[in-house]
Formats: sequence, structure tokens, C-alpha cells
Amino acid sequence: MILLDSVTKKYPGDSAPALDAVSLHIEPNEFAFLVGKSGAGKSTLMKMITKEENPDSGKIIIGGIDLDYVKKRHIPGYRRRLGVVFQDFKLLPRRTVYENVAFALEIAGMSGKEIRKTVPKVLELVDLLDQAKKFPDQLSGGQQQRVSIARSVARQPKILIADEPTANLDKLTTEEIIGLLKKINDFGTTILVTTHNENVVNSLQKRVITLKDGKIVNDQKNHGIYKLDETPAPKIPSRAVRTPGHALKPRKKVIQ
Amino acid sequence: MSEKKNLKEKKENLKNISKKGLRTMQRTRKRHIVREKARILKYGTSGFSRNIWLSSAATIVMAITLIILFVTVVASVILTNTAEMMKDKIDITIYFKPGTSEETLAELTTEIKKDPNTKSVDTSTSEVEYEKFLADNAESEDIINVLDEEMEKLMISKMQSTMRIKVHNVDNLNSIRELVDTNELFKKYTDKDKAPTYDVNRAQIATITSWARIARTGGIILAAVFLVISILIIFSTIRMAIFSRREEIYMMKLVGADKSFIRGPFLVEAEICGIIAGLVAATTSYFGFRFLSPKLEGYGINVDSINAILESNQLILVYLLFILAGIIIGRISARLAVSKYLNKA
Repeated sequence: MILLDSVTKKYPGDSAPALDAVSLHIEPNEFAFLVGKSGAGKSTLMKMITKEENPDSGKIIIGGIDLDYVKKRHIPGYRRRLGVVFQDFKLLPRRTVYENVAFALEIAGMSGKEIRKTVPKVLELVDLLDQAKKFPDQLSGGQQQRVSIARSVARQPKILIADEPTANLDKLTTEEIIGLLKKINDFGTTILVTTHNENVVNSLQKRVITLKDGKIVNDQKNHGIYKLDETPAPKIPSRAVRTPGHALKPRKKVIQ
Repeated sequence: MSEKKNLKEKKENLKNISKKGLRTMQRTRKRHIVREKARILKYGTSGFSRNIWLSSAATIVMAITLIILFVTVVASVILTNTAEMMKDKIDITIYFKPGTSEETLAELTTEIKKDPNTKSVDTSTSEVEYEKFLADNAESEDIINVLDEEMEKLMISKMQSTMRIKVHNVDNLNSIRELVDTNELFKKYTDKDKAPTYDVNRAQIATITSWARIARTGGIILAAVFLVISILIIFSTIRMAIFSRREEIYMMKLVGADKSFIRGPFLVEAEICGIIAGLVAATTSYFGFRFLSPKLEGYGINVDSINAILESNQLILVYLLFILAGIIIGRISARLAVSKYLNKA
């Protein structure tokens, strides 16, 4: 579902590459953590997936779409196929909770009737139905992150990526958010979460990919307790490379 | 045979299906466009009210600059009109010997009209001049009382017949001067003791001509300069308003909004600013001008043409012009300002 093949990225002025020949494959319906210290290359990798940055070399295929073929004018359409959750929530400050979630559906051209039907269900999923009329600055950090998640799953994407979604949250709220992401994964959405919080990783016992200095130094599927070691990254099976446009649907609908 | 028929029927069915599909696609596309426009309008309107402080600041700046533009244009128009009016008051006066008859004056008029610079000619006989004298001194009893029949005859015999010539080009009076100096008829009837007035009015003519030129060219330059300044001020204000919301633009891009969908509400907000600013500026300018026009008239400034516009149905056009200027300037500024952030990443 998410495939990176020898992806390298070096920012101008930097001595070392931010990503150095990174290869990884995340299967459909998989829940994976991308861990590493600050500057390890996690955010660069996320930016590659959202096509905020382009690799210097290598190939990226997301949901069957080869990003080399995604031209500038196609980027909005491509991004609408992804669910993205940000560390700083990135909510529209002058729009209510309801409008923030509805925005994701409006840009996809959904009708008003469908939006009125869908948004309350998504808000119910993240337990924020009673906060629908509030503005982001009237909510707590955890609530804002739940709005961000609601917005990202409203279109029922096949892939959801979350960049440090719990970095600004307390322990209890972190557990809530991770629980919510797990719930979404159970509905069949492929999820990639970047974090440097050991507790978050250990609470779920899922795949952990470790980045260090722009390289994958560890990739453990169904791991036990997360600890940094030097296990080599697995080779990507050739069958994983799909043709553009061939995307798997989620197993179940997140919003029924 | 029947197989061929079936194949034909299948082809027909496929054609019908594809036509139907195409129609449905077109209908869906149309519906999508209408829906998008309605949403842009909704978010533009709510954006305007939710950012009321920034919106108000932008609107006020825009209204002020529109008023400045109005003042510049009006100043240029009334200065030009005043200069034209004053120019129109300038004439060359030729004095003839007392007792020059009406017929002779008609002949002289025909002669002077031969000059292409002659715009109009107005003549008056000694009798008419005497009537004018009476009218001018109607309130002066001392003069009226001494004017008996004898005195009246004497006065008429001393009053000169005159010819007032208005010209197209006050800068070049040589041809008329030459005609008056050389024409036999003029030589015969012109009063040798009182020379024509081209020299007397020369300084006045030169001053007014230069004023008219300054008003025309200066007005155009001033209007152009103010237009550029206005656009820059409005552009900077809207750009500042959008600068504070650049994060919003970035967020919208990240969640996959199309450029037109991001840009649309900002353009609508700027257009609302333009409409309100246009209305405010037009109303302020209207009442301001109505208040000032008697005072300007007192200084001999010609405000007739502007008053005529403001008092007629054309006032609606003035309002529309203000609103249109506001919308256009607002839209261009917002578009440029948003593009700066839209085209990043």
C-alpha cells in the first residue's frame, strides 16, 4: 500500500542526506510506526508521501499511484486520497469543528445532503458530536487532534498517515488518540504513524520501522518491546509494486 | 442474418448507453461547479464577518483611496471646465466710430468670420451700448436724473459701436489682428483713438491657457499617480490580511483543496470589501461634493458638469463605477496576494 524503493533526499546545504536509499513496504490494512530521533528523516519521509517534497532518486508508490506521474496540478486530487493527521492539528481556525470536517468532503465535491449525513457520524466516531459548533481554539489539544483525525477519515481514505499525532498531548489523551487510530485500522485503513514516544509504540505491539540518520536501521513486524537495534531492513517483494491506479479498498467502511 | 441483427442492436444499445452516460457526466459536472461556487460564496461571506477587524480595516483603506481617486478626477474635471469657461469669457473687442450703422457692423461681421480662428461674433451699435449703460447705472439716481433728451442724443453720438470676437485658439491672434489692420472696411470704421483689446488681454489669456493646460495634463498625471498609489495601498492591506492567514492556505493545500477552492473565498471577501468600500466612498463623495460645491462656486470654479451628473439618473452610474472600481481593485489585489502563498509547495 505504501512502497518506497531506494528513496534518497538531500536538502541543499546539508552535508548528509535526510533520507539515504530508504526502501520499505507497508501492506494493506497494516498499522506501522515510524520511529527515530529528531532529524532521523521521519518528517521528510512523510513529506514525500504527501508530495510536499520530491525525492532526488528512488520510487514512491502510494495506494498504487506512482508519485513520479503525479504532476503539480494533480497533487490536490492525490492528497484527497490520503488521510493526514498532523502534530499541530492544522485545523482551520476560523471554521467550526463541523465545518473543518465538512471541508474535507466539500473539496471532494460531495453534495450538501451527503455531508450533512456523514459529518455527524464521523464526529460521533471521535466522540465530538456535542462540540460540533465550537471553534478549534475553544477545544483542548486532545479534542483538536480528534477533529484532525475526523477530518482525515471523513473521506474514508485507504491510507492514513499521522505525523507525531501525540507529541503535544498528555499521557491519557495520547492513549485515547492511539486507541482511535487502532479503531480506524480495524476498519481496514492502512496506517503509518511517526513518533518518538516509546510508550505509544509499546502499547500496540505493531510493526516498528526505525530511522536513523536517514536510513532504516530496524524493521520489526509484530514486535515485542520497542528498542533501537540494528536489525537490517527486509527486502521488498517485487509483487508489492502495483501499477498506477490500482488501489485496494478498505476492508470495511469506517463510517457505515 | 439474425446474428447480424443482434450485433446491430447491441451496437445501438451501446451507443445509447454511452450517450446517456455522457449526459449524466455533464449534469454531474455542472452540479459540481454550481455547488463549488455556492460554497466559495458561503465561505467568502462568513470569512468576511469572522475576520471583521481585518475586513473593516481593508474596507476603510479601500474607501479612502476610492475617495482620493474621486477627488483627483473631479478636481481635474472642474479645473479644466473652469479654465475652458474663463477662456470662453475672453474676447477681442474692436471699437468702431460712434454712429457706425447696424448694416456696416453686419458687413464687418461677414469679413471677420472669414478668419478660421473666429468662433463667434457679437456686435452692438451705439444705441445698444447706451441701453447697456442705462442698465448698468439703473440704481444710480444722480446719473439717471441728468439724462434728458439732449443728453441722451449726445451720449449716443459719443458711444462707440463694438464688436466682440470669440476665438477658437487664444494663443494665435495674429491672423485676426492682421485682418483688422489691413482690411479696408475695418480701417475705415475702426476708432483710431481706442485700440482693439488683444494686447490688454494677452497676459490674462496666457495665464488661463497655462492653467487649462496644467489642469488637463496635471489632472491626468495626478489621477494616474493616485490610481497606482491606491492600488498599492489596497494591495498591501489585503496582502497583510492574507499574510495573517497564510497558514490556513497551507492547511487547505495539505488536505487536498484545489487552488480555485482555496482562492475563491479570499476573492469573495475582497469583492465584499470592494462593494462596501465603493458604497461608502460614493456616498461620502456625493455628500462631500454637495456640501462643498456652493463654496467652490463662490470662488468662481465651474462645478456645473459634476453637479449635473450628481443630480441626474447618472448618479446610479457613479455608484456603480465606485463599486466596480472597488471590486476590480480588491479582486486583483487578493488574487496576487493569495497566489504568493498558493504557489509555494
